Amino acid sequence: MKTVLDVKEVTKTYPKAESPSLNKVSFCMSAGEFIGIMGASGSGKTTLLNVLSTIDTPTSGDILINGIHLKDLNDSKAADFRRDNLGFIFQEYFLLDSLTILENISVPLTIMKYSPQRIESMVRSLAERFGIATQLDKYPTELSGGQRQRASAARAIVKQPSILFADEPTGALDSNSATELLKTLKEVNEDLHTTILMVTHDAYAASFANRILIFKDGCILKELIKSDSRHNFYESIVEEISKLDTQRRQQNEH
Amino acid sequence: MNTSRIAFNNLKKNFSFYTLYLCSVSFVITIFFTFTSFSMNEIILQKISTDGRVELMCHSISIFLMVFVIFYMFYSNRFFLRRRTKELGIYTLLGYRKFTVLFLLTIENIIICGGAFVIGLIFGAVLHKGIIYGIIDLLKLSIDGSSIPLFNVNAITKTAVFILFVVLVLTISNGKFLIQTSLMDMVRFDKSAEKKMNFRKFPAFMGLFMIALGYVIAIDILRGPKSLWIKVGFSPIGMLTMILVVLGTFLFITSFLPYVMQISKKNKKAFYTEDKIITTPNFIYRIRSNSRTLIMLTLLSAATLTISNVMSLTLYYPIAAVSRIAPSELEFRIEDASQVDKVKKLIQQYTSKEDNVSYIQTDLYKVTSKGKQLPIEYGIGTAKGDADNEKLLRKKGFECMSFNNYKALLQAQGREGAIKQLSRLRDNEAILVKYQPNSDATNEVGKVYPLIVHNNTISLTVKNTTLNNPISFANSVGTLIVKDDVYDVIKSSNLPKTSILSINGTGIKNNEDLYHKIDKLLKGSPYLQGHSHRINDLFWTNSSTFLLIGFLVVLFFIATGSILYFNNVSAISDSKEDYEILRKMGYTDNIIRKIIRKQVATFFCVPFLLGLLDSLFATLVYKVGLMQNLLGNSFAQYVPVVISLSITAGIYLLYYFLTIHTCSKNVLGK
Repeated sequence: MKTVLDVKEVTKTYPKAESPSLNKVSFCMSAGEFIGIMGASGSGKTTLLNVLSTIDTPTSGDILINGIHLKDLNDSKAADFRRDNLGFIFQEYFLLDSLTILENISVPLTIMKYSPQRIESMVRSLAERFGIATQLDKYPTELSGGQRQRASAARAIVKQPSILFADEPTGALDSNSATELLKTLKEVNEDLHTTILMVTHDAYAASFANRILIFKDGCILKELIKSDSRHNFYESIVEEISKLDTQRRQQNEH
Repeated sequence: MNTSRIAFNNLKKNFSFYTLYLCSVSFVITIFFTFTSFSMNEIILQKISTDGRVELMCHSISIFLMVFVIFYMFYSNRFFLRRRTKELGIYTLLGYRKFTVLFLLTIENIIICGGAFVIGLIFGAVLHKGIIYGIIDLLKLSIDGSSIPLFNVNAITKTAVFILFVVLVLTISNGKFLIQTSLMDMVRFDKSAEKKMNFRKFPAFMGLFMIALGYVIAIDILRGPKSLWIKVGFSPIGMLTMILVVLGTFLFITSFLPYVMQISKKNKKAFYTEDKIITTPNFIYRIRSNSRTLIMLTLLSAATLTISNVMSLTLYYPIAAVSRIAPSELEFRIEDASQVDKVKKLIQQYTSKEDNVSYIQTDLYKVTSKGKQLPIEYGIGTAKGDADNEKLLRKKGFECMSFNNYKALLQAQGREGAIKQLSRLRDNEAILVKYQPNSDATNEVGKVYPLIVHNNTISLTVKNTTLNNPISFANSVGTLIVKDDVYDVIKSSNLPKTSILSINGTGIKNNEDLYHKIDKLLKGSPYLQGHSHRINDLFWTNSSTFLLIGFLVVLFFIATGSILYFNNVSAISDSKEDYEILRKMGYTDNIIRKIIRKQVATFFCVPFLLGLLDSLFATLVYKVGLMQNLLGNSFAQYVPVVISLSITAGIYLLYYFLTIHTCSKNVLGK
């Protein structure tokens, strides 16, 4: 499998911080992989997502996406790189309220200068897959949370990015909507071979990934790989998380 | 932490945002204080006001200024309150009583108004002093500028009382808002989404139609006596036009603009571009909540631009018309032959040979005509009510002048352009000097006037009409320029004669002392006319009006610009997260700047362009319907209008760039 993401010894230290937010983190991601990033608050998940998505720069180390060194990109090249290679889903949806759902999903394709016909056909076919085909002419405020998040996911996927970054995508959803979204992401991952890197604190959401990286104090503490059913994978994630919780409690008591 | 401390910290925390507010309020107070100091300056008012007109204007403008300041402060206060509703809701959730929140807001207002008061006093005092020196110099007043104190205690007191009143108004307004808004509404205030727009064709096109109809009615005034304005009456048609334009503006902004934008989305090739896909829906989305502000700003722009256009036209027009009212530097009717030598001797005392003073005597012969369709000039000024100077009634008739005399006068007056237009006359041809162009746009070229000369008739055909009169209207109306041979025949026919002496030359320009001595010599003759004297006289009479209207116009522009600034900065800042998403999607900073520029430009253009159009049509109606037309279509009379519009456009542009700068800085952080 082709390596899409290669993270090498990445460290990020914020000014005035006592310890680094990321400490020599290294891992690889192959094309079509679905990785879950887990960890407690302050473990470095969001920092990792920011440096991987070119929003922030690491203090040291190297990141390659599709063989391109991110540190070589200036502001405008980074913008072009995000446009051509990356997709984002956020916990708060971040749809543009003034645009209809159709327009929201179309935005990434307009920056890629696709023809209007192609844009509309791509958006409509993806909307079918995400179950929001009848909502395309509505505004985000007219949709439920689940529908909004599916629209947000469709907007991220429509341009077929090399990597889709999802930051707590189910954080603001009820359990049914969350399951719907995760199933759709899984389908997209399997059918379209979209590479997904999802940050989550929810073991159930993480169980949809193929591999889990558990972070603690800016380092990868543990790596879990799905071997059989999603249910068993979920059990092992829960077990690992409770172990970590117990360790943390014991440390706090001391 | 006590309430005052919270208020102070709030201002400190949001310093950058409040800085412009403080600056604009200080600016407004500066103008107010300068105006108040001026209107309370008895030394100056005594000198420039002879009939109480300036005092009356000061009083009226003072009321306008106060209303304006209250409106602006009220709007800005509401704007900031809206932005902070959620924060105030949290205070209330934490247990603050609404009265305490109101106290907090009042303390903030007192701090801002107090700061603005101090800044306004300092800058206003300096500006007032500058204006005083300017007026003393311009009108050559015998006042020692340094004797006028920098700070006028009465003006300070009036400004302080007024600011206290403004704070009271704001407190009442804030109190009303807090009482009427429930805690739930306060906390969820910024969550409330804009209502979805309905795009209806009928109101949209009705708006466009009403504005267009208003403009068509305005243009109708050009049809002269046949126009609705004359046939039906100025007041009802004026009222109808105003209602059509105001209602049209309302529908144009609330329905037509969003409708057109929505339709423009159907042009998919144009719409699916990186900036349009953001700016077009954004405009539609924002128009609903901003339409009231836009309508208000458009109508205010229209009113202020019209006021400034009309005022500049009214005040400058007589100055531009001096070239017709008093074409020579000095001119008088010779009623006694000895007057000529006495005047010449007097002028010699003020000039040298190098000054090239020219003296041209013109003998005008009054000739009557039997023609049926004689021009209006033939009988103008012969009855009360049809001339400017009703004390000088004239007898009907043409006043004939020789072609060479005419040419010599134009030459002495330095009107080279008019000389170039001249062509030789034949025996049966004449040039008719018009008082003003005919209202129905016709002219007399080709008409034949049979002149009665010594029991004979000389028929003259009008070859040309001209507005280049060489003699003032005080001394000649209905001037007919004839070939020298024909003039000699008229001259020998013992017809009534009037002799005029025209004096020109650089050495006698702007010499008020000389003018007054000649005036004394001629015993205050109403036939004495002076070009420079007339201009100085107009400056003396009108400069204070110019200045006072200037205060009002400047204040308006500050208010409009600041409202547009706050509105746009607020809207863009509220969408900061949206821009962050766009950046993550791959929008470069340059495209984001372009989107910001487009969004801000739309909101600046609507009030300015609509207001400008409204004001141009209103000015046209005023110019054609209510003003004399001595200058025809000469561009010179419109120069101040062009200047005032350019200044307006300049101020708008300045605010536009300032807004773009702040918005880009807010969104991009650089």
